[in-house]
Amino acid sequence: MSAVSLLTIEIATAILAIGLLVIGLIVPKDQRQGIGYLATFGLIIVFALTLLYTNVQETVFNGMYIIDPYSTFFKQLFLAAAILVSVSSFDYVKRLGYNQGEFYSLMVFATLGMMMLASAGDLISLYLGLELMTITFFVLTAYRKNDFKSSEAGIKYVILGAMSSAILLYGLSLIYGVSGTTVIGEIAKGLNQGAQPLELLGMIFILVGFGFKVSAAPFHMWSPDIYEGAPTPVTAFLAVASKAAGFAALVRLLVIALPSLQSSWVVIVMVLSALTVIFGNFVAIPQTNIKRLLAYSSIAQAGYLLFGLVAYSALGVAAILFHSLLYVFANLGAFTVVIAFYNKTGSDEIKDYTGLARRSPLMAAVMLLSLLSLAGIPPLAGFVSKFYLFTAIIDQGYIWLAFLGIGMSMVSVYYYLIVIKVMYMGEPPEDSEPMKLPVSIQATLYATMLVSLFFGIYPAPLTDLALSVAKAFFPF
Amino acid sequence: MQQDYAGIGIFFLIAAVFPMIVLATAWLVRPKRPSPEKLSTYECGLETQGSTWVQFKISYFLYALIFVVFDVETVFLYPWAVRFSSLGLFAFVEMVIFIAILVIGLWYAWKEGALEWM
Repeated sequence: MSAVSLLTIEIATAILAIGLLVIGLIVPKDQRQGIGYLATFGLIIVFALTLLYTNVQETVFNGMYIIDPYSTFFKQLFLAAAILVSVSSFDYVKRLGYNQGEFYSLMVFATLGMMMLASAGDLISLYLGLELMTITFFVLTAYRKNDFKSSEAGIKYVILGAMSSAILLYGLSLIYGVSGTTVIGEIAKGLNQGAQPLELLGMIFILVGFGFKVSAAPFHMWSPDIYEGAPTPVTAFLAVASKAAGFAALVRLLVIALPSLQSSWVVIVMVLSALTVIFGNFVAIPQTNIKRLLAYSSIAQAGYLLFGLVAYSALGVAAILFHSLLYVFANLGAFTVVIAFYNKTGSDEIKDYTGLARRSPLMAAVMLLSLLSLAGIPPLAGFVSKFYLFTAIIDQGYIWLAFLGIGMSMVSVYYYLIVIKVMYMGEPPEDSEPMKLPVSIQATLYATMLVSLFFGIYPAPLTDLALSVAKAFFPF
Repeated sequence: MQQDYAGIGIFFLIAAVFPMIVLATAWLVRPKRPSPEKLSTYECGLETQGSTWVQFKISYFLYALIFVVFDVETVFLYPWAVRFSSLGLFAFVEMVIFIAILVIGLWYAWKEGALEWM
């Protein structure tokens, strides 16, 4: 196939993003709600296009860009997340009342950046995708221009994002300096002389840079503030898709480009994952704001995803794929409830969720299932994916890490149950009435609930897919 | 291998110590006759008036950003123009797409009022 036809998905996404911007310019300001529907429709078409590429294994532009089942899996994940976020943000964006076209255009651009990150076969295209995603998120984070918290979150994200990019870039340049190539597939050949100090330094910088992007402790401190300040749909997208994109690129870089340093990076990743899991779960306990609670819980989830990298096996990569999909849907379910609740009440405090089960049984049920899935309770999908992650590391002999993960999962059940207790045991406020949800929010809620339940009860199709993708990606 | 690094280490050491020696020597031998004019911070250009922490118009940033877009465009246009005859139709179409994307950006900035000096 020619390069252009292999890049159809990316080109279509770019055309969609620019098209949305242009339509936003042509349509009068008060009639721009329709752009949200157009964005969703366009994203669904792009998603359908990706189905044609499930078995393609090709590289274009001399290895700069890779289209393989691994990247296509992640692209479908990002697109599914983008579709759900855009559907659930219709009302939120309408309430904002300004720059509605740009919101969706920026979201599609961020998706494009994530796709490039998953497909990057070269350090340059990797960095390009990363910046396209991150810079778009700077703007989206500060989208509520009259809200002090949102502006603060935006500025914090700019400064810390720029710093982490600089660190990452320094690491990439050192690796390029030692290996003499920027093509990820050829770096391993250039680094075959054992661990040199310069290579190790480059690897450490890369791990720190990506540690920021996937918010692994001790590089997590930006995420709670930014998750709290950003508009909730943006937080949802930032928490799920950008983290999955970071993992997609990190796994490719470490496994394909730096296998010769595996004995060194596995120690660092192990320490990072243990710290992240402990820190994320314990600090989530005293939180009173639901967005901050979900932020710390997603820090903890990043720690579990790092387990798959510690395992350094096909099963580990498969477990990362499986868990990132489950994590995306469970988190999106929880965030959609937060968006809908905020639209109705204007509050993100956990204590205001009191008696939600009686005001809106659907919202409470989705929150319940999503949180339990994140905690890893059977028969929900989170249990299956955590089971694979722990199996993968036990296979490699890291039994203590698996025990730590299981222990911390129990800690996580505690703070998830606090939210559930408030929703189900609490009394609704005196003057409250049942909440009517718009169809778009209902559709998102049902979709996320269905995925969490279906893949928990019948995980075989997804397991087979994840394993076959991981085996193609991880040939040894 | 180790010797090479040792050479660099000694070089660093000398580089760190040498300016100190120079400054110390100058401090020992120079005459000391301070005056307020000499003690003030060295600055070139005009003297600053008032506090430097003032707000200034955000429009400057918008103009600068739009300028940078078209400034960088020239960097890509120039080599393309030099080799135009040997590149053919495909490169022409590519460049048209590239400029079209930038023009959409300018259109957006214009329509949103970034070019108006308020």
